[in-house]
Amino acid sequence: MMANIIEVKNLQMKFGKEEALKNVSFSIKKGEIFGFLGPSGSGKTTTIKILTAQLTQTKGQAFVFEKPASEMNSIQLKKKFGILTDNSGLYQRLSIEENLLLYCRLYNLPVSTIEEALAFVNLQKERKKKVSQLSKGMMQRVILARTIMHKPPLLFLDEPTSALDPVNAQHIYNGLRQLNELGTTIFLTTHNMAEAELLCDRIAFLHKGEIREIDSPTALKKKYSDKSFTVELENGEEHVVHNGEQDALQVMEWMKAARVSRMYSNEPTLGDIFVQLTGSDLK
Amino acid sequence: MNMSMKRIQAIFVKDYKEFSRNYAVSSVIFMPMILALFYGRINSPSMDIYLFPINMTFSMVTAYIQACLIAEEKERNTLRGLMMSPASTVDILLGKSLLVFLTTTVILAVSSYLVGYTPNDMLTISIALAISAVFYLALGTICGLFTKSIMEASLAVLPVMVIFTFGPLAVHLVESKILGKVVEWLPSTQLLRIAELSQTGANLSELISSFIIITIWTIAAVVISIILFKKRTKDE
Repeated sequence: MMANIIEVKNLQMKFGKEEALKNVSFSIKKGEIFGFLGPSGSGKTTTIKILTAQLTQTKGQAFVFEKPASEMNSIQLKKKFGILTDNSGLYQRLSIEENLLLYCRLYNLPVSTIEEALAFVNLQKERKKKVSQLSKGMMQRVILARTIMHKPPLLFLDEPTSALDPVNAQHIYNGLRQLNELGTTIFLTTHNMAEAELLCDRIAFLHKGEIREIDSPTALKKKYSDKSFTVELENGEEHVVHNGEQDALQVMEWMKAARVSRMYSNEPTLGDIFVQLTGSDLK
Repeated sequence: MNMSMKRIQAIFVKDYKEFSRNYAVSSVIFMPMILALFYGRINSPSMDIYLFPINMTFSMVTAYIQACLIAEEKERNTLRGLMMSPASTVDILLGKSLLVFLTTTVILAVSSYLVGYTPNDMLTISIALAISAVFYLALGTICGLFTKSIMEASLAVLPVMVIFTFGPLAVHLVESKILGKVVEWLPSTQLLRIAELSQTGANLSELISSFIIITIWTIAAVVISIILFKKRTKDE
């Protein structure tokens, strides 16, 4: 049986009277890409902060690498994970290379790792540019390079592609898949359903501090599908058909008459499922 | 204690590069030297005059720059990155203090030369200045950790400047006995006492009480800065 890198049981977090997390439980296996999906304020970042010892939970248990999450601030454990959050910062007066060099020294890595990290985020040519001259998307890529530079077995990525254009986002997806193939476990939070579907082995829908559903994207789509198809005819008419003799005969008739232009499954998107579960969208 | 010279050096080098490109903050180092140049023109100055640029260096260079460096790390969210890296609290605090300590040493030497101060007992004064420098570094760290931006830190350091720089001068001016007593216990006043007594050839037993007072201030400030820093590693 594969070991759980992260194990969370009945996690509860209160800020004053406000309950940010309500009995959240989940586990993440080694080598998995796990997506935490939810709108702003649903508790995604709070969960990451608890798992990286930046916050202490009010109740419940959280284990990372089979150790209590509160121990994640030890030097040995800090070397085993990388974290990218929306409040990760860079030194504005230093160049990209100088920023990465600092972390190279802090993690005691060879300088050649800077080159690899820059290639990962497609910024080799801009290495001498000062951070203050970079766009938000480029800064996000530098932070990502810094996060993965020490090749940690566990990555916490909080909205990693939120500021990126589609081309660079795709570049990052490819890089993350490569890292995952090498064994890196990734805990990813995102609003982006396409991103979650593309990358994640399993996803959890988080809403108002509660996990509403947790499974693989395929299983969730299957579970929430009404098993209908849309048949588009040559004349532009669209018909929704369901399993059953009557609809099957109708489709066969259209096909015999060569009237079918295209046919597709009406399986829900992850966004549709989220709306169905929570009554609100992911924005 | 987790301490790595490599990590301390990495933070020091980074701070040096940032500091040398931050003209708004780095230009402050010239203020005590300009003041020392001006005070050095006074005929037969007292020890108060000699020590004024020195205390000014401590508050304007040591405490102010340290507070700004820490506050900027907080403002730009880079302190969190350091805290999440393998650098320990000691690595970060030492790494971030080293640059300001070295800068302070150079400015103190230049200011003393410009004001015309030549200590009779160089070793005693050097030890007193080194302990004081650590105190002001810790004070600057506390101000930086308490504030959220460079702007706030600049304001937070103002009372430090007023109390510790002008404190020794106020000893002769304040009428209130209680206030006078408080001012007497300030590390800057004790530094002045050490400078005055050592200049007249006083022995260690006469100076020990002043050293103890400065050391207590320093230990208290260092402990508070470490506790505060550890609290900041938590996002609560």
